[in-house]
Amino acid sequence: MNEGLGGKRYPEVRVEVDPARVRAFAHAVGEREGFVPPTFATVPELAGLAQVIADPELALDFSRVVHIEQSYEWRRPLRVGDVLRCRPRIEAVRTRGDTGFLTIVSEIVNAEGEVVVVGRCTLAERGR
Amino acid sequence: MSVRFEDLSVGDELPPLARTLTRDDLVRYAEASGDRNPLHLDDAAARAAGFPGVIAHGMLTMGHLATCLTRWLGGPEALERLTAPFRAPVFPGETLVAGGRVRALDASTRRVELEVWVTVEREGRVEQAIRRGAAVVRLP
Repeated sequence: MNEGLGGKRYPEVRVEVDPARVRAFAHAVGEREGFVPPTFATVPELAGLAQVIADPELALDFSRVVHIEQSYEWRRPLRVGDVLRCRPRIEAVRTRGDTGFLTIVSEIVNAEGEVVVVGRCTLAERGR
Repeated sequence: MSVRFEDLSVGDELPPLARTLTRDDLVRYAEASGDRNPLHLDDAAARAAGFPGVIAHGMLTMGHLATCLTRWLGGPEALERLTAPFRAPVFPGETLVAGGRVRALDASTRRVELEVWVTVEREGRVEQAIRRGAAVVRLP
C-alpha cells in the first residue's frame, strides 16, 4: 500500500435509507423493526469505501484484507427516507512488519448537511 | 423495557444476548449490507485467505453487539459511540454471546461508559470475537 496517501479525500457518494433495505438489515442483525439499526451506517460507509478499496494509487490487495476494528459515533439517529452522503478520507496508512494498516474515516451527512454518523474503519492487509 | 441512569452502578452487567449464526445468516447480511466479500460466502476464497472455511463478517458480529445494546436501552437513540476491535474469526454454526459492563457513570451529562464484548465458545475455550470494545450511551 502507498503510505503517502494519508489525508486523501474521495468524492462523496449518495445513499438513500430505503425501507426495504432497513427491514432486511434489521432482520440480518437480529434487530426488531420500528427504527433503523445503528450499524445500518455501514451501508453508506461501504458505498464510499468501495472507491478507496479500488483506488489504483493506494494499491490495496483486497484478497488479503481483514477488518480489524470499526467504530461509529452517532450524532443523530438514522431515519428511513434520509438521503445521506458519505465522504470518505484516508486517515492513515502504516506498515508494521509484513502487515499494512489502513484507517478510513467516513463522515455521513444528511440532506441538510448535518453530520449524522462518523465511521472509522481499520483494515489490515496481511503479508504474502 | 429500558434502563434508567439512576439504577446503574459501576460494574453492572448488561443482559447477555446469544445468537447462533448459520451460513444463510451470512448471505442475508452480505445482501443487506452490500459487503459481498467472498471470504464470507465462498469456502474456496476463505481457504485461500488462510481460514478453514467462510467466516462471519466482523460487522455482523458488531451488529449483534449493537442489538444487545439497543435491547438494553429500549431503542437506538441513546447510543452515541461503539468501538469494536475484531480479535477472532467466527464460523457458521457458532453462537455469539454479546455482553457488556458499566465502567463509568457521569451524572452531569448522564453518559454511561461501557466495556463491551462478543464471545464464542470453541472446543471448550472462550474466544473473544470482539475484545475490549467500548460503548458510550447517554440516557434521558
